[in-house]
Amino acid sequence: MATAVGSGPAQFTDRLLAPAWTPSRVWWVLFGVSGAGTLVLAGAVAYTVATGIGVWGNNIPVAWAYAIINFVWWIGIGHAGTFISAFLLLFHQRWRSSINRVAEAMTLFALVNAGLFPLLHLGRPWFFYWLIPYPTRMGVWPQFKSALPWDAAAVATYFTVSLLFWYLGLVPDLAAARDRAPGRTRRRIYGVFALGWRGAGRQWHQYRVAYLVLAGLAAPLVISVHSIVSLDFAISQLPGWHSTIFPPYFVAGAIYSGFAMVLLLLIPLRRAFRLEDLITERHLDNMAKLLLAMAWMLIYSYVVETFMAWYSGNAYERYTYLVERPLGPYAWIFWGMLTANVVVPQLFWWRRLRVSPPVLFAASLLILAGMWTERFIIIVTSLNRDFLPSSWHFYAPTWVDWSILFGSVAFFFLLFFLFLRFVPMVAISELKQQRHEASAAAAAVAAP
Amino acid sequence: MSNDRHWWRDLDELLDTPDFREALGREFPAGAAELADGMTRRSFVRLLGASIALAGVGGCFERPRERILPYVSEPPESTPGLARHYATSMTLGGYATGLLVESHAGRPTKIEGNPDHPASLGAAGVYEQASILQLYDPERARAPRLGRGKSSWSDVGALLSPARLGPLVGARGAGLGLLLEPSASPLSSEMLGRVREGYPEAGVHFYSPLGSRASDRAALTAFGRALLPQYDFRSADVVLSLDADFLAGVPFSLRYARDFADRRRIAAPTDEMNRLYVIEPGLSVTGGTADHRLRVRAGEVESLAGAVLAEVTRRVNAPGTRGGQGIPGDVASVISGLEPPPGHREWITALARDLDAHPGRTIVIAGERQPPRVHVLAHLLNAALGNVGRTVRYIESPLLEAGAPSHELAPLVEAMRGGAVRALLVLDGNPAYTAPADLEFAAALRRVPTSIYHGLYENETARACGAFVPSLHYLESWADGRAWDGTASLVQPLVAPLYGGKTDAELLAALIGDSEAGAHELLQELWRGHMAGTDFANAWDEALQRGVIAGSAASETTPAWRWGAIGTELAGTRARADTSLELVLDQDPSVYDGRFANNVWLQELPDPVTKLTWGNAALLSPATAARLQVATGDVVELAYHGRTLRVPAFLLPGHAVDSVSLRLGYGRGAGDEAVADGVGANAYRLLTGGMAHFGGGLAVSPALGDDGAPLRERLATTQTHWRLEGRPVALRAALDDYRRNPAFAEPERGRVLSLYEPGTGSGDQWAMVIDLATCTGCSACVVACQAENNIPVVGKEGVLDGREMHWLRIDRYFEGSVEDPAVLMQPMLCQHCEKAPCEYVCPVSATLHSPDGLNEMVYNRCIGTRFCSNNCPYKVRRFNWFDYNAEVAETERMAKNPDVTVRGRGVMEKCTFCVQRIREAQIAAGIEGAATGEVRTACQQACPARAITFGSLNDPESELVRRRAEPRRYAVLHELGTVPRVQYLAAITNPNPELPRGDGGG
Amino acid sequence: MPALFPRSSNRTIRLTLAAAAAAIVGIPLALMAWVRTPAITGQHSAPAQPIPFDHRIHVTGLQIDCRYCHSTAERAATAGIPATSVCVPCHSQVWRDGPVFAPVRHSLATGTPIPWQRVNSLPDYVFFNHAIHVRKGVGCETCHGRVDQMARVEQAAPLTMSWCLDCHRGPERYLRPVEQVTTMGWRPARPQTDLGPELVRQYRVARLTHCSACHR
Repeated sequence: MATAVGSGPAQFTDRLLAPAWTPSRVWWVLFGVSGAGTLVLAGAVAYTVATGIGVWGNNIPVAWAYAIINFVWWIGIGHAGTFISAFLLLFHQRWRSSINRVAEAMTLFALVNAGLFPLLHLGRPWFFYWLIPYPTRMGVWPQFKSALPWDAAAVATYFTVSLLFWYLGLVPDLAAARDRAPGRTRRRIYGVFALGWRGAGRQWHQYRVAYLVLAGLAAPLVISVHSIVSLDFAISQLPGWHSTIFPPYFVAGAIYSGFAMVLLLLIPLRRAFRLEDLITERHLDNMAKLLLAMAWMLIYSYVVETFMAWYSGNAYERYTYLVERPLGPYAWIFWGMLTANVVVPQLFWWRRLRVSPPVLFAASLLILAGMWTERFIIIVTSLNRDFLPSSWHFYAPTWVDWSILFGSVAFFFLLFFLFLRFVPMVAISELKQQRHEASAAAAAVAAP
Repeated sequence: MSNDRHWWRDLDELLDTPDFREALGREFPAGAAELADGMTRRSFVRLLGASIALAGVGGCFERPRERILPYVSEPPESTPGLARHYATSMTLGGYATGLLVESHAGRPTKIEGNPDHPASLGAAGVYEQASILQLYDPERARAPRLGRGKSSWSDVGALLSPARLGPLVGARGAGLGLLLEPSASPLSSEMLGRVREGYPEAGVHFYSPLGSRASDRAALTAFGRALLPQYDFRSADVVLSLDADFLAGVPFSLRYARDFADRRRIAAPTDEMNRLYVIEPGLSVTGGTADHRLRVRAGEVESLAGAVLAEVTRRVNAPGTRGGQGIPGDVASVISGLEPPPGHREWITALARDLDAHPGRTIVIAGERQPPRVHVLAHLLNAALGNVGRTVRYIESPLLEAGAPSHELAPLVEAMRGGAVRALLVLDGNPAYTAPADLEFAAALRRVPTSIYHGLYENETARACGAFVPSLHYLESWADGRAWDGTASLVQPLVAPLYGGKTDAELLAALIGDSEAGAHELLQELWRGHMAGTDFANAWDEALQRGVIAGSAASETTPAWRWGAIGTELAGTRARADTSLELVLDQDPSVYDGRFANNVWLQELPDPVTKLTWGNAALLSPATAARLQVATGDVVELAYHGRTLRVPAFLLPGHAVDSVSLRLGYGRGAGDEAVADGVGANAYRLLTGGMAHFGGGLAVSPALGDDGAPLRERLATTQTHWRLEGRPVALRAALDDYRRNPAFAEPERGRVLSLYEPGTGSGDQWAMVIDLATCTGCSACVVACQAENNIPVVGKEGVLDGREMHWLRIDRYFEGSVEDPAVLMQPMLCQHCEKAPCEYVCPVSATLHSPDGLNEMVYNRCIGTRFCSNNCPYKVRRFNWFDYNAEVAETERMAKNPDVTVRGRGVMEKCTFCVQRIREAQIAAGIEGAATGEVRTACQQACPARAITFGSLNDPESELVRRRAEPRRYAVLHELGTVPRVQYLAAITNPNPELPRGDGGG
Repeated sequence: MPALFPRSSNRTIRLTLAAAAAAIVGIPLALMAWVRTPAITGQHSAPAQPIPFDHRIHVTGLQIDCRYCHSTAERAATAGIPATSVCVPCHSQVWRDGPVFAPVRHSLATGTPIPWQRVNSLPDYVFFNHAIHVRKGVGCETCHGRVDQMARVEQAAPLTMSWCLDCHRGPERYLRPVEQVTTMGWRPARPQTDLGPELVRQYRVARLTHCSACHR
């Protein structure tokens, strides 16, 4: 990149920090809308906790439904951030720098949402801490044979590490914000969070080491979290759940939906804040390619589990995969899911479509919906018709289920808008450094 | 960590409630408030105990206060925390069934069968068991009423006294009418006698909406006396039921089911078993059990029965055949004219040959719904087949005035309308609701100047009566009754009246001026007479303790045949009934005639064949439905004899074509019974004065809403899918196939490959075997489980949402064609898998395995992830979606079993193998230092067919081990390797080889 | 421009971070300790009773056996609160007219019970059976403490589940000969380590640690 707009480093920084100083009208509107949605969530949650989860559509046999679907969906979305930060960093994918901040923030907010559901879906949420291994007065421990205690542990760890990782990356930019923020109070607030960063060489050195170490820690977590989440299903003997392919299958799906969400957020940002020079076509192109790759990993999983169901000769497996899902009462959801997750990403074979923001935006939206319905298919259509025909029963969500789903989406965006308002939304320091190195290189070339 | 206020175990918290205090206040002015204390509870027990068998000084419970003092010291026979059983009996449909009632600290908590009583033999049906809830029903009437306002017994009693009533009804009582339910009670008979002395011209009438008394009329025709046939199913090889649901729907069903099952339980392939033919319109429990079932319109049963008789007599009278009773020529000639309707000839011939092949070892039984002629035909068939005196014996009907005109309702209604009845006393029943619609009973009742209703509830009839007197629940009363076979049994109270009231006898006593008489004295007085010569005190105590009066069964009489009358009766037999669409009215397997409609257990008890809860529906065959273009859930309008009724349709495979059956007892209202109000449709609106429970000329049309759109209603069934999908769940084989291949169940049992060595531990190792060959699906076990384990109800919405809580359910599968399928009943409960899928997925170890092989569920540890339910292949786990016990009335809480935790919101629950009974037995054994004695689960105890066997695998002597050794044993979903401790014995049917293997049971 | 932060803020921030870390570890630990204190378990609590019944006088002084009053302890789940009449035989001779004895007189006169206050209370989902424990050699004292030294009866044990399990997991450490069950202050003649296992064998005492032993 030769001479970008707003040439000098100072102006560059100012430009990227500007949104933090002056909230636009649009921002207030979006803030209001997502805030209202969040209140709906709060109401629905309060109602549920006060009355009992009977206010949901769940029943026997379908004892798990929306709460777990949303949980898995949000966790999945929460994978992109750390994947981008950690993996791409470790693989020296420099293009990540302009998007990792947003991605990491997105991850955290997704995890906050995801964390809500495992607690909420309990019959007696006030005893959630029994999942934690600690010496109780009852003299009993959680059961480690079950996947759920591990699930709790995995999600908690992932959240902690992601938070630290994000915060660490923020420090230099918070310092920048501290130095530029209008008004002493704001400067002091940013100052506190900047932890006295002065950009000294020694600080930079330690910072880099710490960042790398955290990246090293976070990378395996990206794999482990959703693997363990997938065990919530895989360790059962239920046709449709009882499958060894689940861990990789879930991780692929997770990153798939994660990237879709990143695109969904970046594309409007890019427009709104004129970041075309930072989030270039190359970024869009790369992420579209990633989507395509993940899509094929999913397709592979779909094919394999269906084939195995047939090949196993197990009547119950066959019924779930070959009858219930494609032809059962939820068939339309099943086919909808396949369209969104399998057909849509095939657009990305064409570069023109890969770099077209509207196409990417629409595709991401469809893929996110598709991934939600995938979890619906996995959970509901496996449960509603299992072994004994006598216990088959239809499942239908209630208005509370819907309020919680949409409420949690609103809550996610509320957090995201707050992030845009108060935190530098791109890794300024990293970008400046890259620009510096780039221009240095250019100079070197220019010099005879 | 118990911050859940709904956990309670003992009375301490329970009894100390305003509602109960108020209730007790009336009975125990002193110390009612202190009931929470152990000691008062003992005196409470004692003073109730005083009313009970061993005390032998009953009646004193009427005035408990003075009685407390002597018993402030600890009564020897009642130790807190130890349950006691007392014998009593419940009368339904006029006949008594002996019961044992479990009582905890003075509150009856569970009803079981009395092994010494011929009608029970230890089993208890759904009505008997659920009646405990009726005792504690908060909507029971609490005080007498005169006109609009509350009143007192003294006022109403005075109103009844001869001084007041005499002038009103005339000295000889010509203006006095009494309407009772049919009864066999010696005490009632005695009291009615006394009333008749006082008022010789008083009109005494008996009315029961179920049964047209056709059997009595038939008996009068055939024998000139109201004789009652007694069937001995133990010695019957072949049984033909003419629309008789004798396994579930008749007064002696428990006994019949027991005897029938004893001939169906085959230990080895070589054993013999009985064969059942059923001819019926709707699909009944008996029909589902049949080996050959002929589904015909109720109106055709008559012609078919005639054809069978014709065929049988043809063979019996044929030279060289040994037969039974010869039939005089003239009658025989009439009979020989009876031709089988086309299409059924083959069936009839095969049946007749089969019957004839077992002289004296068959039974032909006719349903009460069928007209007298069918009963006469049944009598003749039994005679012709030589069954009389062998499998069929006759006794004088124990019912008061059986067969007399006093059993007709119409004359009374006439008199009422004509103003001849100046005062009417209605004892129990609910005629304003159950009387045939065209009699307009309620309207007629308003024409009676003085009308008094005596019942448990202020119901439809009470509302139409000027005065009301609450009656006592049988668990609060002294009374007596007779069983189907005439055996007399006593009714003794287990608890002081909760709301006060009077028994029938006391009310009748008031009628002759003794308004202060106590039922206990009246009863003793009567039986002192009957037990003359013996040491009364001892005889009485023994009768109370055993629950039956020894040797009081009616003696057999030999019928004298009135051939002339029989001939003329049979002459009218139609060869073919009219072919119009037919309406059939049924007794309801849950709410009976409607009297139990306020009982939530019964409302939520799935109908054995339709699995329908909370309401009734117009049942019709898929073919008929297709022709009428209605689907399940469509509300249809039934037009019958000028009356219409709106009711949702329900497609029932196996139902007769061109016939629509409808259960009675729903659509209650206009009373205090809030639960019953508006549930289902009132089929009595279609019942006509002739008391015919079926008839042609029905028109069915889709019901339209005000907007002209067709109406639909969601029907709450507990089972939405009824095909087996070819899965090895409920196995079944015909007898000869079983003999040819005894190992047909082999693939579904035995070892499955596993990484872990299977190992049955030492000591008690509990297991269960369920015999599908004898299970009829009557659902007595379901109620037993509900009562024993404090299982909540979830209401119609809950059932619609798939949230019913029954720990033990009965899965009903249809096999074969949709029109005429075979029926399979399979009790399904926690299988207590040795390798339970639910256990390893629980994150907090709330469900674990006990060393004696139980799959334990620890409510207080459960946090409600519901992972266990997802991983349970049998889907027998239940979840408390809401705090279901919060809505239970304080009085109803007294029905809870104190040995079982009442579950709060958000926890999983399921069958525990009645662990409370197991642990109780083990503790008792431990105290004695002995080995654990016999443990019987609630379901096993209730089962009339003894289809459920429970015991320890390590007890080689046990029946359990013996039955598990049978070749037809198998495990449901065996291939999953869950190694269930509950295993099943495949159903065996015994089809007639001469008949094609129709689906209809072969 | 003036410095945003004073020099001291470096220390402040470090201390804050340290405190936060400490809290994350400390607060759960504190809670765990707290729920084990008598404040929560009710151990040593001694509610006031309608009659100042003094076990010291009756047990130590008069040497009355526990089972004279708590008569169902060997037969039933509950040990039994004595009926008023149980007091009578002795108290018709002594202490008939004292004001202290008024509630008993009232109870006898009216037939109303004496409203004793419950001392040892278990959650309602716990099914404890006195008889079997007594028959297997668990002393009254083992759970109820030195009642003979209590002027007013107090809850001697914490009655937590782990407390129950402590014995259920290793009964040999607490058993005593059945004859000695009601003895207060009983000490094994020979070391419990060899008496205990012997009693376990003799009484066929099982280690009941499965849930349904207590929860049904």
